Amino acid sequence: MSGILDIIIKIITWPPLWQLIVLGLIVPLGVVIFILWFERKTAARVQRRIGPYHVSPKIAGGLQLVADLMRYMFQEVIIPKTVDKFPFIVAPLAALILSIVPVVAIPFTSIEAYFPIDMSYSLIISLALLTLSPLFIILSGWASNNKFSVIGGMREAYLITAYELVAVLAFLSAGAITGSFNLVDIVEAQSGVKWFIILNPLAFAAAFIGVLLSTSGFPFEIAESEHEVVAGAFTEYSGLVYGMNMGAAYLKRMIFSIMIAVVFLGGWKPYTPGEGFIAGYLVPSIVILVKATILMMIFSFFRAVYGRYRLDQALDIAWKILFPLAVLGFGLGLLEAYLGII
Amino acid sequence: MSGIIRTQGAQVGFNDLKLPGMWSRKIGKDLYEIFIGPQHPGSGHMRIVIRVDGDVIVEADPDMGYVHRTMEKLSEVRTWIKGIPLFERMAIHDACNVTLPYVRAVEKLMDIEAPERAKYLRVLLCEINRIAAFLYGFGIFGVFLGHSTMYMWPFGDREVWVELAEWLTGARLTHSYPVFGGVRRDVPAGFTDSLRKAIRYMRKRLEDYRKIFVDNPVIRARLEDVGVIPKNLAIELGITGPNLRASGVKYDVRLNHPYEVYDQLDFEIPVFQEGDAYARVWQRVEEIKQSLNILEQVADWLDKHPRTPILHDKFWKTAPPLYKKIFEETGRAKLGAVYAIMKVPAGKAYERAETARGEISYYVESNGGNKPYRIRIHSASARNALVYKYIVPGHRVMDLPAIYGSIDYFPPEADR
Repeated sequence: MSGILDIIIKIITWPPLWQLIVLGLIVPLGVVIFILWFERKTAARVQRRIGPYHVSPKIAGGLQLVADLMRYMFQEVIIPKTVDKFPFIVAPLAALILSIVPVVAIPFTSIEAYFPIDMSYSLIISLALLTLSPLFIILSGWASNNKFSVIGGMREAYLITAYELVAVLAFLSAGAITGSFNLVDIVEAQSGVKWFIILNPLAFAAAFIGVLLSTSGFPFEIAESEHEVVAGAFTEYSGLVYGMNMGAAYLKRMIFSIMIAVVFLGGWKPYTPGEGFIAGYLVPSIVILVKATILMMIFSFFRAVYGRYRLDQALDIAWKILFPLAVLGFGLGLLEAYLGII
Repeated sequence: MSGIIRTQGAQVGFNDLKLPGMWSRKIGKDLYEIFIGPQHPGSGHMRIVIRVDGDVIVEADPDMGYVHRTMEKLSEVRTWIKGIPLFERMAIHDACNVTLPYVRAVEKLMDIEAPERAKYLRVLLCEINRIAAFLYGFGIFGVFLGHSTMYMWPFGDREVWVELAEWLTGARLTHSYPVFGGVRRDVPAGFTDSLRKAIRYMRKRLEDYRKIFVDNPVIRARLEDVGVIPKNLAIELGITGPNLRASGVKYDVRLNHPYEVYDQLDFEIPVFQEGDAYARVWQRVEEIKQSLNILEQVADWLDKHPRTPILHDKFWKTAPPLYKKIFEETGRAKLGAVYAIMKVPAGKAYERAETARGEISYYVESNGGNKPYRIRIHSASARNALVYKYIVPGHRVMDLPAIYGSIDYFPPEADR
């Protein structure tokens, strides 16, 4: 009997499966439910409202999002006659999957036995995978064959060109400091107070705003801006597929937050992974996830403070302020490597 | 409608682009036609047809009339008093301002004038309505710019004024407060104290609005130099209200053609020279401040003067003793039966007033019967709506909600 149990535990804790399903899907989904609750509650507090309340009043409306998800699940999925059916359905699925996949290239511990893949070029691989999902948002906008969807998709395309270079350069500055694309080396280099947010605040600022841009966070909620393009690329979607589209954006923001936590906030750093599954894998992952969740909370608080920029203003900010900032951050990283600060 | 179908010399066809299952019509070269409205989250009850070249709007056609309710015709088949609740439906949150000129025009025909106390009470509700309407406009504007806090705050603070109005008149929105020869109710006991409290609260909140919205860098970036209405264009198109004053024209019916007791009150109407969306926001903030000043003076006057009849003698003398007794006890004057059978002497009258959105004017013609012969209304929003055609082209698509919100256009008032 115990032999079967061992096998089951072994299968579940097999790093690729564990990391993709648990750390990539289930935990971020839970975090997203919490974050959406937090976003609604803080916004409500700022705006002198109560926020979600009637579903589960005892835990302050915590299950409201679960109720919303159920609603999406049982809603009819309407596929209009005019759409291009295959990409219309496949694009949101692909976007959802591609926003989870980068998690396989992110180490949650320093012990090699718990790496899903070889970590030598993990920074490059995770960044490359992260930049794929917006293409499918453009595709779903195009497949919808609706003017607002097409405009939403085009806005997404403009924003991709703006934030991608910024975010990639900002993350790569960590590689410049350590001279390695291995995320484990990057985390190990951030010992003590030498977190890269302190060593390289410019790159951190560029990455932070780049993530806001890439995930339609306020003040850059442009591609789905309701009062111009209804729901952007997702205008024609309904039911579960629409829920998937919305979920993909939040999951992507979560994975980006995990990236920032690993690259700039010291990863598992105050903690040193020990022996065994719990001390060596579970605890460091929780440390990273807590850091990422705090980042997500900061992102979502902006909703209560800012309006949205115009598209051309957002592009201006990206190209005229963020891009030089990211380049400066990269240069700062090279300088620090030259001076041997690490 | 014909303006929409007719496009720059393009052929009118239905499948020009050979799209599957979809009508398509060629417009200008490289132009893309987008219908904003009437079921669009950023349009209100109207449609703006825009044609864009890339991200820049080349042409804009405001298409009004979706909430046309034949107000003018309906009024011709109703008795005089029923016109008041009817015309309120044009702008229910600005009800007193919108109906006041109608009441005053009929009073002019009957050659009567409301007692002074009633005039102060009318001004009281007018200014409460004005503030509530400005706050309503701010809320809509906030959500157009994606600023959800600015959506919730003014709507929450508007409640203060709506509840004051409810306390005074018995209705949150459609008050039907001014009636021919006076008003329906006197102020309840303790009303002026609450009013002063509300004024203090609102001054504090305006400072909060400035911090989170008006001086917010994102909002400033969105509004500055956007939707500029030049002074000459504003005069040419007949723009009225805060939009006109934000373009540098000092015209306010309350100042230029004082009605009720506005000539006895001390207030200053701000004027901005820039004429852009940002100036229009400041204009409304400053006008709320002026309305608060007016309300303070009205509260002082009401405190100093004891309760006197609030209806003209012509109507007050027909009231039975029981009505008068109730009025002395509670301050409520029940509408006399005389209103139901009221006849207005034949003649023509023209009256105007300053609503929250600008000047509204009524032309009232009577043939001596118990119903109006003809009523012509020219509302502020109808005049302001023209401006979209002239100032929207040249802006980006994302500027459309900013311009739409800054004009504070209210379709039901424009369509009547």
